[in-house]
Amino acid sequence: MKKLVTLTFITVLTALLTSCNTDATQNSGMSLIQKSDPDPIILDEKSEDKQKLVSSIKKDVAKFDELYDVAVVKGEEEILVAYKVKHMQRFHMVKIEGEINKMLEKKYPKENFIVSSDYKIFLEAVELNDKMKNPDFSEKDAKKKLEEIIELKKELT
Amino acid sequence: MGNKKPESKEVEQYKQFEKNFETKRPVFKNCLKAFLVGGFICMIGQAITYFYIYFFSFTEQTAGNPTVATMVFISMLLTGFGVYDRLGQFAGAGSAVPVTGFGNAVISAAIEHRTEGFVLGVGGNLFKLAGSVVLFGVFSAFVVALIKTILIKLGAI
Repeated sequence: MKKLVTLTFITVLTALLTSCNTDATQNSGMSLIQKSDPDPIILDEKSEDKQKLVSSIKKDVAKFDELYDVAVVKGEEEILVAYKVKHMQRFHMVKIEGEINKMLEKKYPKENFIVSSDYKIFLEAVELNDKMKNPDFSEKDAKKKLEEIIELKKELT
Repeated sequence: MGNKKPESKEVEQYKQFEKNFETKRPVFKNCLKAFLVGGFICMIGQAITYFYIYFFSFTEQTAGNPTVATMVFISMLLTGFGVYDRLGQFAGAGSAVPVTGFGNAVISAAIEHRTEGFVLGVGGNLFKLAGSVVLFGVFSAFVVALIKTILIKLGAI
């Protein structure tokens, strides 16, 4: 009986702790499991050229058979490309990242890319996309968020 | 050295006789149990990794550390409650090989030697089994790093 009470206590505590999340919204909630296919985001001056650029980057990266979801965020200086690798291809993740980097640098030599296959980076990109739909979320906030994502990508420990 | 003495007839006869009464180890069944329980523990670990990625700012690369700490902590609690011992009896290597086995080894030694006092009992015996895990873990990491360094210097990687 005592064991049962302890186990119930632990279960309830875990449930309470996990339900304390307020940040995740709509799409980003499921993007870890499902394909969410977010639209490319531009946090720079918006022009038709840039719109074309991010769309073509997304298209080029999505051409890789090993991937199934691509998110592109264009900041002022860098372009963040996050993608999810198909489960059975995850053994070749380093190779795939190298190939994508090579392709992007060859095709868009003027741009500065940050490429990541990390779930977290993808999740944050989708969350940024969701937040951008909210009119209260300013461009300044969005740029700050992108900076945070890039910092997170560089973190190693 | 190494030359075994030829066994006498009686010894051979006894060995044959003994074989008839020996209970056979159910190797396949044990392997299956270890596989299933070990796999289940790893599945919980994966769920905890996703929990840290999803609700905290950990990336796939950095989520490993808190996950290991949590798994060890849970196995320490379970050892204290007496649940992990039963799991160990049932699953054998399946419960000892994952990192949870490390927590179990530490806490069970602490419980066993509690009566001998805190310094010579708990303190002296805490790493009785876990000490060899740490020692050979560090040593094998050193050997692997050495091989990698040599290969990189030679230009093979």
